[in-house]
Amino acid sequence: MNNRMELRFDALAENEAFSRMVISAFLVQVNPTMSVVSEVRTAVSEAVTNAIVHGYAGTTGTVVLRAQIESDQAVIEVEDYGCGIADVQKAMQPFYTSHPEQERTGIGFSLMQSFMDGVSVTSSPGSGTLVRMTKRLEA
Amino acid sequence: MLESRRTGDRLCVHLSGEIDHCVAASLRGEIESLLRDPTVKSLWLDFSDVTFMDSSGVGMIIGRYKTMKARGGSVHACGLHPPVDRLFHLAGLHRIIAIAGGDTEHE
Repeated sequence: MNNRMELRFDALAENEAFSRMVISAFLVQVNPTMSVVSEVRTAVSEAVTNAIVHGYAGTTGTVVLRAQIESDQAVIEVEDYGCGIADVQKAMQPFYTSHPEQERTGIGFSLMQSFMDGVSVTSSPGSGTLVRMTKRLEA
Repeated sequence: MLESRRTGDRLCVHLSGEIDHCVAASLRGEIESLLRDPTVKSLWLDFSDVTFMDSSGVGMIIGRYKTMKARGGSVHACGLHPPVDRLFHLAGLHRIIAIAGGDTEHE
């Protein structure tokens, strides 16, 4: 089956749990394994947290979560229109964080890469960041 | 909400629910306030009722590890469900936190 959805929400920490619930509920219709759901939930949580903590850094804004099921894979996007990332390669390095004082670990992107089959990040300073992830859905 | 129990110099903290960035910030404050007591030498974190954790939870644990290490104490974790256990390993937490099976009641 093919299906897609788009959700827009305010960049509030309270919406992190909400975004995880939505992605789980959306994927349930293709009957995924527990481990696929758990991995996708974690990857979405990392991307949404990045949008809130780094993209908007405490200011207000909108986060967009898009998901698309195309036959055997899910394509998931998390987009913000915040400050953007000047050096995406540096930001994606394991353990790199711009906020060590907030107990950020710098492993968010590494976890997205571990849990998903593909992760790409497009960003431009001043206009926002788009994280696009793909996940194979076992039959 | 967080439940804790003190036995000698050991403080057991029972965590529950989903530990993300939103929740980790308040847990950090609650556990740090319990650790103001300098006689606590070992911190036990019971994850048996934790249903989700991401890297924000990892950051919260590393923060408490630093607090305990500074006083020559230790941090232990128990009750890890497979997804949380996997996160512990991916993040390298198993190298600094002693992981026990079961929950603290049986240790």
